[in-house]
Amino acid sequence: MAAPDLLDPKSAANNLKPRLSFSANPVVLTPPDDDDDECETRISVMRWKTVSAIFFLVVLYLIIGATVFKALEQPHESSQKQAILEEKVKFLLLHSCVNSTELENLVKRVVSAVRAGVSPSANSLNQSSLWDLSSSFFFAGTVITTIGFGNISPHTEGGRIFCIIYALLGIPLFGFLLAGVGDQLGTIFGKGIAKVEKMIVKWQVSQTKIRVISTLIFILFGCLLFVALPAVIFKHIEGWSALESIYFVVITLTTIGFGDFVAGEKGGSESSSGASAENNIYLDYYKPVVWFWILVGLAYFAAVLSMIGDWFRVISKKTKEEVGEFRAHAAEWTANVSAEFKETRRRLSVDIYDKFQRATSIKRKLSSELGINATLSQEMTPGKRTLSVNLGDERECYPNLTLSLSPVPGALTRNGSLYLNGLSPDYAAERRDFPIGDNLK
Amino acid sequence: MRSAGRSWVLLAGFIVFYIIYLLFGGLVFSTIERPEEERLRHELASLKEDFLNRSCSSAAALDLLLLRVLQAHRSGVSVLQNTSQPSNWDLTSSMFYANTLVTTVGYGHSTPLSDLGKAFSIVYALLGVPFTMLVLTACVQKLLFPLVVGPVGLLHRYGLEPRAACALHLLLLLLLLVLCFFVAPAALFSWLEGTWSFLDGIYFCFISLCTIGLGDYVPALQPGQKNKPLYQVSVMVYLFLGLMVMFLLLRAVHKMADVHGLTRLLQLPRCEEASPEDDHHPIREPGDKSPTQPLQPASQTTYNTINKG
Repeated sequence: MAAPDLLDPKSAANNLKPRLSFSANPVVLTPPDDDDDECETRISVMRWKTVSAIFFLVVLYLIIGATVFKALEQPHESSQKQAILEEKVKFLLLHSCVNSTELENLVKRVVSAVRAGVSPSANSLNQSSLWDLSSSFFFAGTVITTIGFGNISPHTEGGRIFCIIYALLGIPLFGFLLAGVGDQLGTIFGKGIAKVEKMIVKWQVSQTKIRVISTLIFILFGCLLFVALPAVIFKHIEGWSALESIYFVVITLTTIGFGDFVAGEKGGSESSSGASAENNIYLDYYKPVVWFWILVGLAYFAAVLSMIGDWFRVISKKTKEEVGEFRAHAAEWTANVSAEFKETRRRLSVDIYDKFQRATSIKRKLSSELGINATLSQEMTPGKRTLSVNLGDERECYPNLTLSLSPVPGALTRNGSLYLNGLSPDYAAERRDFPIGDNLK
Repeated sequence: MRSAGRSWVLLAGFIVFYIIYLLFGGLVFSTIERPEEERLRHELASLKEDFLNRSCSSAAALDLLLLRVLQAHRSGVSVLQNTSQPSNWDLTSSMFYANTLVTTVGYGHSTPLSDLGKAFSIVYALLGVPFTMLVLTACVQKLLFPLVVGPVGLLHRYGLEPRAACALHLLLLLLLLVLCFFVAPAALFSWLEGTWSFLDGIYFCFISLCTIGLGDYVPALQPGQKNKPLYQVSVMVYLFLGLMVMFLLLRAVHKMADVHGLTRLLQLPRCEEASPEDDHHPIREPGDKSPTQPLQPASQTTYNTINKG
């Protein structure tokens, strides 16, 4: 089939089975024969080791980042906290006459404090820091996954410079990790799908249907595991509405990361007066679990998004092909039409020539009868003149079409004859009786 | 080459369609979010009025006010000036928002307030993100040949062996990238935005071009910004070009890792040279007189990755 090659020449050999993994290496889904299976397990075993090694490296990197961020940002944060508390106390002392400028100043200060992550609520004294270890870990995670919520951001110069360097090294690292995780996910899922496909094949369903069903299963299962379940958990723990939970999940897993909703944020900054020890313990577990979910969910979303991208690609290639076919049709049609046109012209010119021949012969007869000498025959016959005019026209007007469509190359210049287009050689053969070619030599 | 010209035309059509998609998103967001923003603004103004009318307010009332102010600020509505403030959801700002949504930068300086806006954001992002990635990858593939493979081949021809040629070319590309897309725009931003220093500009450029998008610095948000629409559109263009160059850089790095054998060492996917002949395949071979057959339905959907590298 020509079509798969057009789609992707590299995967022409592997085009029979869908590849669900993130990386460029195909995952063979049919139950392979023995040595293939061996090869595959060997490859996947090595990959598993690499993936876990990279995973530990990433975790280590994150912990290092978290400690550095904490060391850089926490002092700044506590000084900000002090400043806003003093502001508030001052305001409350002289608030008997509240004019708008004082209010504006306060609001300005509040806003800039919030930027630094401080909330001026009543019990801000026992507020947990935004830059403790687990939150810094979370922030480092949002940086290297490029989600970038922004509810926490570094404010010191040193923090920012470190953030840049950290991201420069961390993002590719995370990219490798994501590729590995995606591969593993694809392999696991591929094996499951292979089993399902084995069952379905018994029902003798066509290849396309199997592929469509496997896509649907992939999407449904993944949605359930990585979107619906976490959304329910967030709704329950964070107190968001259903839409807001799904919104948060989608915005996070596509790495957009606005930061208007962040899991685990409420517990940190606005902890209510009943903040007990157990709250903090659950919070300590909650954030790393959320980060782990982000990791796996990102791989799933990358697979889904690349699938959508492939559909776009297929659609655009399909359109390209159909446009190409359409153009080829149009080209054929125009070629046919112009060939017909030329034929008609040729026929007409031949007819005219015939008529002229007859006229000259009649004229000759008449002139010989009348005794006028036939000096006219010495000059270039009008037939030759008409022919040269025709030749000149046609060579100028239709060079491309004749050259591209004639299966006989060079037919245009064969003796300059009227066998201009090879489309109807039989017609020319039919009219071989008139000696036009001879005249031009 | 006719087919080369055709693929350029296709790419241009792609880009035009992408711009239309952004415009469409901007329009929809604008119509959905603007009324909600107005409502919030009025609510905040009345709250402020209420507070000012009281002669002696308690701490609880103050806290309540501040809480509301903070919530409003998080949604991008500021209570600071009661003069006419440019909306966060007029057409160019909405387009800017759609752009941040679709390039996955996601500043968060303005986020959808209404439920409908949130739902629409979800759908828009799910379609727009792969679309953007596709467009960017297509552009990068077009640029890859003249900017990466070509110069490397040139250096190779001058006698450098492949590894050194790759490394040298990567270094030059990096230098060019840093100059054009970090240093120059940072200087420009720090000049246009009064309160940004040069380091802030570089920080902003980096955070945006890596699509992290923390949102602590967002251009064109200063009150009284002149030519705000033009500014926002140019920032969008800068983002797009910068992302393209980052992808190119990533491809070049991957290629170099390939050449140096790193990818084989780490068992990572190799950098497939999506060769330029990929696009130059004529759709129909010349002289192919076979009757045109419809596309087989069973020949579709290989779930290849978008970025093969």
